[in-house]
Amino acid sequence: MSEIDKSLIGAWSDPFTVDVEKGAIRKFADAIGDPHIMYRDEAYAQMQGHSSVVAPPTFPTCFRPVVQPPWFANLDRRRIVAGGISFEYERPVTAGMQLICRVQLTGVEEKSGAKGAMQLIHQETHGKNASGELVFISRRTTIYRSLDQVQKGSLA
Amino acid sequence: MNKLRGNELKKGATFSWLTSAVTTEQLARYAGASDDYNRIHYDDAYAREAGLGGVVAHGMLTMGFMARALVEWAGNPICVQSISARFTAVVRPGDVVEVKLVVEESTQSHSVDFSLQAFVQSKTVALGQARINLQSTLQPMGSNRKMS
Repeated sequence: MSEIDKSLIGAWSDPFTVDVEKGAIRKFADAIGDPHIMYRDEAYAQMQGHSSVVAPPTFPTCFRPVVQPPWFANLDRRRIVAGGISFEYERPVTAGMQLICRVQLTGVEEKSGAKGAMQLIHQETHGKNASGELVFISRRTTIYRSLDQVQKGSLA
Repeated sequence: MNKLRGNELKKGATFSWLTSAVTTEQLARYAGASDDYNRIHYDDAYAREAGLGGVVAHGMLTMGFMARALVEWAGNPICVQSISARFTAVVRPGDVVEVKLVVEESTQSHSVDFSLQAFVQSKTVALGQARINLQSTLQPMGSNRKMS
């Protein structure tokens, strides 16, 4: 039985605003251990035609809604494992941008394999700039393990 | 180095890139930088209770390594038009991740499709795909493409 309310498939979260900050980009690159100049040197990025430093390709992973969308709000964090994710860019994410993002629940799948039952939660995030142009789309699959799997110590 | 030259764009051409060993400090930093405070990434007792046998790296950190390998190859992060990954095994502190990029297809329009693999020793920890557009760097500044 699905613990995620399937009637919410197709629903969108409330929009949330992300101010892309220079320091946040640098810290993100630092955490990955990536010294690339485009993440760090505003003058250099401007010389390349950008308004400021550019974000690493996986940076929109930090764009999280302030309030969890209703289909995600009551999940047990211990049971959540990342399944897969993609980022597609229409234009680069740069510091100083204000992005309006919304998350959509695009699907819920029941899976039962050798390692027990689990649910796959499919979500899509769209980020638009202040002019309403699409900047990126991110698609994310989250694995929601059964309690049984948690207790048996089995990974998804 | 101009990456468009030589055999580097032939289907099947492979590029490898190695990370430094993942550290618990890195996991704490990544939790903060990515705003992902799931305790399985920094609280060992909690991660054991969650059946993981100890803290595990964020899957997104592994994907960050995959993206970094692509940017190392392309020279500029804005060349990465799309990237996807799915995570097949956990990465733990101490692990060294090897990223392999394999050219699947390249076109006249400066677009290169890669398949991505991430390994810890011989174990596959993530698989993915990416599209690089080498022309995107040409748009703002003419032919002034530059490696860092």
